[in-house]
Amino acid sequence: MFGQQVMSGLATGSLYALTAVAVVVVFRNTRTINLAQGDFSMMGAFFALILLKQFGFNYYAALGLAVLGVILLGVLVERAVMRPIADSDWLTLFTATLGVYYILHGVAGWLWGRDTKAFPVTFDPTPVKLLGAIVSEGHLINMAWAAGIGLILYIFFRYTKQGIAMRAVTDDPETARLMGIPVRFIVMLTWAMAGFLAAFAGVLIAPIIFVGPQMMDEVLVKGYVAAVFGGLYSIPGAVIGSLMIGVAENLAGGYLGSQYKTATAFAMIVALLTLRPKGLFGIQHRREV
Amino acid sequence: MTDATLGTHREAESARRRAVAALKQRFAQQDVALACLLFVVLIALPLAPGVQGWMASQATLVIVYVIAAQGVALLVGYTGLVTVGHGGFLAIGAYTAALLTKHFGVDMLIAILAGGVMSAIIGTLLGLIFLRLAGPFMAIGTLGFAFFIGTVVNNAKIFEGREGISLPPKNALFGHAIGDTGFYYVSVVCLALVTLFLWSLLRSSVGRALRALRDSERAAEGSGVNRWFYRTIAFAVSACITGIAGALSGLAIHFVSAEVYGDIWYSVDLLVAVVVGGSSMMMGPFIGGLFVVMVPFFFEQLVDFASILKGGVLIAVLLFAPAGIGEVLARPVRAMRARRLAAVGMPPERSLGKPMPVNR
Repeated sequence: MFGQQVMSGLATGSLYALTAVAVVVVFRNTRTINLAQGDFSMMGAFFALILLKQFGFNYYAALGLAVLGVILLGVLVERAVMRPIADSDWLTLFTATLGVYYILHGVAGWLWGRDTKAFPVTFDPTPVKLLGAIVSEGHLINMAWAAGIGLILYIFFRYTKQGIAMRAVTDDPETARLMGIPVRFIVMLTWAMAGFLAAFAGVLIAPIIFVGPQMMDEVLVKGYVAAVFGGLYSIPGAVIGSLMIGVAENLAGGYLGSQYKTATAFAMIVALLTLRPKGLFGIQHRREV
Repeated sequence: MTDATLGTHREAESARRRAVAALKQRFAQQDVALACLLFVVLIALPLAPGVQGWMASQATLVIVYVIAAQGVALLVGYTGLVTVGHGGFLAIGAYTAALLTKHFGVDMLIAILAGGVMSAIIGTLLGLIFLRLAGPFMAIGTLGFAFFIGTVVNNAKIFEGREGISLPPKNALFGHAIGDTGFYYVSVVCLALVTLFLWSLLRSSVGRALRALRDSERAAEGSGVNRWFYRTIAFAVSACITGIAGALSGLAIHFVSAEVYGDIWYSVDLLVAVVVGGSSMMMGPFIGGLFVVMVPFFFEQLVDFASILKGGVLIAVLLFAPAGIGEVLARPVRAMRARRLAAVGMPPERSLGKPMPVNR
């Protein structure tokens, strides 16, 4: 029982991680808390759903095209909305993404309706035995995807020129610019990465929570909480935070009752922020006068 | 310079100061007169043809939102703390008032006050946690708070979840049953009191301390302003005002359910109202409250279009009028006043349409 709760918690947590990491990547490069991150995922899920149902694509083709579509959406948002106000204070950037949130919610509701739809791909619920715990195949597949994406990100940040440039922009945008790094391009790449992660988050979670304009609202809040665990700065911190939230809420749901499941994330963030106001893995920035 | 020329110079200087002070006082009187005019219009509104009953309750809703947005503006605009969780206080106020009315049948005045007090207490406690946090962290923390309140009212038995708490169709004020129009007047009085209170608060030493902290935390603290003390006051007052608005909103529609108050995006609506209207001017919440209530009202059949419109307007405001619509409306008046002040020898004032100096 306990092992099972932990395993399925890790599986949900690894899906939260996709959102949390995107929140961190966007925040640390652009000072923007992206409220539209969940809606990027929602759009991705809808793209995939339509490709599967109306055009009869197979799952992987639909997933690939959805990823491409959401990357374009992220770049579009950066060009049309975020770039003109890039120098504003963080509240302006934050509210701008809120505007995007409203628009995407409206567009999705208008085109596809407000009711939730079932996602046609379901995994074989046959349990698989792993490390003494019984896990469903869907959970394993989701964890495998999340791990694969994690590996891609690791390689990107560690070995590619663009990834290293992105880290330089994170550390100090001004110096990065003086060193000849095209900061604007890197910022665009950041939003593209947010789209990339969002599409996977949306399509992978769709069979679990159904597809609709509101589908990601709750996941997004948990993604934020997880991102705060990493001080809105550290990617490993955000991943660990996501897994902790996934496990904690599953345990709370299993042992205390399902209504405690959603309140767990809040209890955790209050505890965390009371003890460490800048997150578990956050760095303390110097305050300026 | 001889003593005689120095004397005339001094005289001219003091005459200039007197003229500037007199003109400034005149402008302040004009502002007060304008506010009074607005309230006269609000009082006369139910007398206008076609504004009976249902429209009066719609107007009540606008007023409730304006009050709630005033609470948010006190934090976001004047204190420089961003909250995305004030829907939680709206819910606390609404449920406090509803439970007291349902189980104890209290007078609506007591229910409204209790809503405000309950919010203030919880706001003070939360302030102790949230005021430790830097900007973006506080935004996420408060969003989590709204989310938590949503979960509680959806699940705890006493709040009756989505079934909701139904209240008697008439509210009792001093033992008299009052209808929609009567309730409208109660909310106008609440709005007037809250506006007056905020207006005086912001002109008091507390208001100056809050603005000093907003503009530069360190400089203010260095000058002996106690950050914790004043920000806790701001958080509590802000929660209290929004709680009063919540109590009013629940009593106005005689129904409080988790479907409405458990929705975290209500909190976000309040932030939208403040940003669109203009967060650091008294007029801002009025415009913003009108905006967030009227858009869904006019597009009742087109929920999705209303959502797109709201997002579009929000982005347009941020791109073209970052200090809010109120600032754009006030700009010509400010320019005219600056010219008249310059004519009597006052150096040009700095624009109040400042970018918000929240931690960058």
